[in-house]
Amino acid sequence: MKLTKARPETQKKKHRMRPAHHASSRAEGLAQPGIEIMAATAAGLTKIYGEGETEVVALDHVDIGFEAGKLTAIMGPSGSGKSTLMHCMAGLDSVTDGEVRAGDAVISELSDKDLTLLRRERMGFIFQAFNLVPTLTAEENILLPLLLGGRKPDKDWEAKVVASLGLGDRLHHRPDQLSGGQQQRVAVARALVTQPAVIFADEPTGNLDSKSGEEVLGFLRRAVDDWHQTVVMVTHDPKAASYADVVVFLRDGQLVGRLENPTTDEVHDQIRALET
Amino acid sequence: MRLMLQLSLRTLSANRLRFILTTFAVLLGVSFVVSSFVLTDGLTRTFDTIVEDANAGIDAQVRARSDFDEVSFTYRPFDQSLLEVVAATEGVAEVFPGAQSMRIIPVKTDGEPVKTTGAPILSFNWTGSSPSVTVVDGVAPQGPGEFSLDQTTAEREGFVVGETYGVLGVNGVEPHTLVGTTRFGEENALGGAVMLTFTLDELQRLDGTEGLIQWIEVSAVAGVEPDALIGSLEAALPSTVEAVSSEVIVAEGQDEIGGILSIIGNILLGFALVAVFVSTFIISNTFNILLGQRVRQLALLRALGASARQVKFGAVLEALIVGVLASVLGLGGGVLLAIGLAALMDAMGFGLPSIDLIIAPRTVVVAVVVGIGVTLMASLSPARRAARVPPVAAMRAGFRFGSGEGTRRTIIAVILSVLGSAAIAYGIFGGSDDTGLIFLALGAGAVLVFVAVSMFAPLFSSPSASFLGAPLEHLPGANITGHIARNNASSNNKRTASTAAGLMIGLALIAMASVVATSLKASLRSELGSTLTAEFLVLPPNDGNFSNTIAAQVSALPEFSEVSAVRYGNMRVAGEEKAVTATDLSVVTDLLDIDVLEGDTVNAADPSSIVVTKKAAEEHGVEVGQVLVVEFAESGMRALTVSAVYENDFLVGDYLIDLSGWDQNFASTSDNVISAKVAPGVDLAAAAAALEPLEQASPQLTFQTKDEFAADIEGQLDSLLVVINVFLGLAIVIALLGITNTMALSVLERTQEIGLMRAIGTTRRQTRSMIRLEAGVVSLFGALLGVLVGLAFGWVAVIAIPDSFISKLSIPAQTLAIYVVIATIAGLVAASIPARRAARLNVLDAIAQI
Repeated sequence: MKLTKARPETQKKKHRMRPAHHASSRAEGLAQPGIEIMAATAAGLTKIYGEGETEVVALDHVDIGFEAGKLTAIMGPSGSGKSTLMHCMAGLDSVTDGEVRAGDAVISELSDKDLTLLRRERMGFIFQAFNLVPTLTAEENILLPLLLGGRKPDKDWEAKVVASLGLGDRLHHRPDQLSGGQQQRVAVARALVTQPAVIFADEPTGNLDSKSGEEVLGFLRRAVDDWHQTVVMVTHDPKAASYADVVVFLRDGQLVGRLENPTTDEVHDQIRALET
Repeated sequence: MRLMLQLSLRTLSANRLRFILTTFAVLLGVSFVVSSFVLTDGLTRTFDTIVEDANAGIDAQVRARSDFDEVSFTYRPFDQSLLEVVAATEGVAEVFPGAQSMRIIPVKTDGEPVKTTGAPILSFNWTGSSPSVTVVDGVAPQGPGEFSLDQTTAEREGFVVGETYGVLGVNGVEPHTLVGTTRFGEENALGGAVMLTFTLDELQRLDGTEGLIQWIEVSAVAGVEPDALIGSLEAALPSTVEAVSSEVIVAEGQDEIGGILSIIGNILLGFALVAVFVSTFIISNTFNILLGQRVRQLALLRALGASARQVKFGAVLEALIVGVLASVLGLGGGVLLAIGLAALMDAMGFGLPSIDLIIAPRTVVVAVVVGIGVTLMASLSPARRAARVPPVAAMRAGFRFGSGEGTRRTIIAVILSVLGSAAIAYGIFGGSDDTGLIFLALGAGAVLVFVAVSMFAPLFSSPSASFLGAPLEHLPGANITGHIARNNASSNNKRTASTAAGLMIGLALIAMASVVATSLKASLRSELGSTLTAEFLVLPPNDGNFSNTIAAQVSALPEFSEVSAVRYGNMRVAGEEKAVTATDLSVVTDLLDIDVLEGDTVNAADPSSIVVTKKAAEEHGVEVGQVLVVEFAESGMRALTVSAVYENDFLVGDYLIDLSGWDQNFASTSDNVISAKVAPGVDLAAAAAALEPLEQASPQLTFQTKDEFAADIEGQLDSLLVVINVFLGLAIVIALLGITNTMALSVLERTQEIGLMRAIGTTRRQTRSMIRLEAGVVSLFGALLGVLVGLAFGWVAVIAIPDSFISKLSIPAQTLAIYVVIATIAGLVAASIPARRAARLNVLDAIAQI
């Protein structure tokens, strides 16, 4: 199934973050896309869980860059390290070795406090489930990162985000009064409201029916196209991956493939190829 | 059932912190109960031994006969010529005359008289007859101008054997040589009292009671039975004195001390039960939350075929394990606490002997009954609810315990509050003479009211918490965390209510004590202001008495217009013992506004008149001009004419006689108080200056103005209040443990939420403050509710306490506000451990947790 979506022909170079000093493109299978500005990069990223006999190498010297203004999907079979990669890039998990950068910030060297502030101010998050604080209204949930930082919300921007997500009449509802799709839309709005450098989405449609899932993916796509946001999405759903500009494939903690502007079928083929 | 036991044990070990905190809450309560028993049992045994030792070697005692209830320390004096009669009686081997005075005071080298913190300064004549009083250093006093002092006082006050010190007696300060130091029992356990010894003659001279003694100790010739000795003594002695065996003396002494100790024990036990009561709430709440979090597990058990009964049994079993552990540990903790309390009392100057640690079987039984009983009781309702979890809840997320019991809960709460109020009303107005029954009714009533309030609380806890938390929204730099804390505090009405309940009880009792004490002070001030028209008072130390020469000296001062001594004694009216006050009736209305309703007090200033309150007149059915027959211990029956009837019994009680009447009916002519009115045109400062020389001559006496007197009493009330608050503090500590526990459970429940918040940019600090602020809101709610209940209780208490003590309600708003603030801050601090845990949660694990 070919999905119709607006694809920008040229990359807009609008960023709030300065580019990384050495945007990496050394990874095997990662094509050199000309002058790309990376929103986040990793060099030699290694993540090992456990010690001795129980040691598991989740990420094995991964070099990767997430291009600014693009929707990147990370795919791979269970245990391939795709979620770990995202968590390490988002400053949610510590790295065993290597360097992770978000803009000019070296994530792998930041303190918990600085990491927290970085996540609050320059990153957005959409999780698979449990995305909202149950005791806060939809609007409060959307504004939470700003409120935590004691920042004044940009009213125009907020209105724009809320309107585009169709949440106008749901702002004063609590999460338990919203459908799963609405909850996920609130999470998208929250991720967008700070106009972050990168939005990390971890299986954002995993818990949704297909219609709601498509809606959420559509919003992410539009955020990239219309508002030049950068989105990194972990998914195991080829259809979801087909919304991405770039799909990277992981297996056993290593980057093993990359597709640009893929169709669902191309993603399927690549997965099948990797499985053999 | 074995499986359920294993499951229970697993559950407990999987929730170790909760388990420890819960056990600790019960343990504290049990320890307090145990310590009150261990302490009283130990003290009783110790003092029993001391009394026995003090009377060892004595077979009988001769003393003034009296069927009035009198304190044994104040034996009525009799003529010492009886000594010869006793010595000459058949079967008597040795006689030792005894006299005791509380009016002789040693003076330190710097001229300051020795002072105690409430305990008496006792002087005895040295006989060498008692094996329990021994000379430590130097020798016993042999003649005039010599004295000995107890070891502890000598060391504390810097008295050195061989030096000369002033000794203050009725004739003023005279130089005496300290010839030795003495010890009472093995450890000089005088309970903070000071003990002086003199020769009998010297003691009598200093006390102004020449020729008088208070008892004669008698030892029998070998082979003479005590009964025979008593018989021959009784036959030989006049009817004004009696001979009693040493067994009787020992038993009387032990009864008297035992009575005081059992009062102390009961007070401690009362505080301990408050702590236990609070811990019941904590445990019940903890079990409820734990079960709520384990709904799925319980449902799975049910789905796999466990019966409702088995599930319930498992829940009760967990409580049982906690109860058994808390009882056993509480027993040990109680013994330690008893040792600690004894050490504390010793440090506060009570001079306790080292106490035998007695763990009576009764103590063990009570520890087990309290520990296990309380936990079982607290687990019943959660266990019942656990049994109602449907098996399908295992498959369905989001099952919550039904909240449909709201109406039932309210009905039960209404019934309990009615029963509680009825019990309190019975205690106050029931007219029962049995103080035990009254306290039981009041205690049970209070418990019922507390339970009822805690059951009502969920009805309004959510809006209250939301209202109280509102200011958090505007907290600089923490508005959103404050907002979430407020939301959390108000989102679970039952949990907030039951977490706050513990604090509510503690604060209610503290607030009540505070209201009663403040009302007492205010009443005292207002009564003193309106009733006492004399400006100056002279008071002896420790409610004792002093020579009547002082009143004459004050009276001789031109700065004072009216001066009268006041003496307090007992008499019997229609077979019942009543307190009687003697004063100069010719001037009494100038010094004290007793509000004479009928008759005239000035004309009653003679030995044959009596003045009574309206209440007493009605009780005895007498009017002005009629005769009231009263009985005095020393003079017997007297027919007195009622000369006046008055209204206000403040400071004087219901019966007033003239000093001339006192002198005819009482042997002692010492004064208890002097009240003096400043002459017109003389200012207070001049009057105070005029008293200065008298004050210097009698340093043991307090010469004070009405205001100083009131301030003194207020100071004593304040100290008492501090002690009460310290004991209630334990209940507060338990309540705070409950807050720690609830917050820890709440953090556990909200792990995912906290993980999410951390992921999207909540700092550790913000996470901590979120948890703390929530605890603060819950604590504030509990504290305010407690103060409200405490105000109600205080108000009832003020109504219940007779007007002669408390005539008006006074609310210490500022103090109560401070208590609320302290409780709230304590709640914030109590949440520190769970707050830190929340802040340290691994973000990814927290999010991944389901």
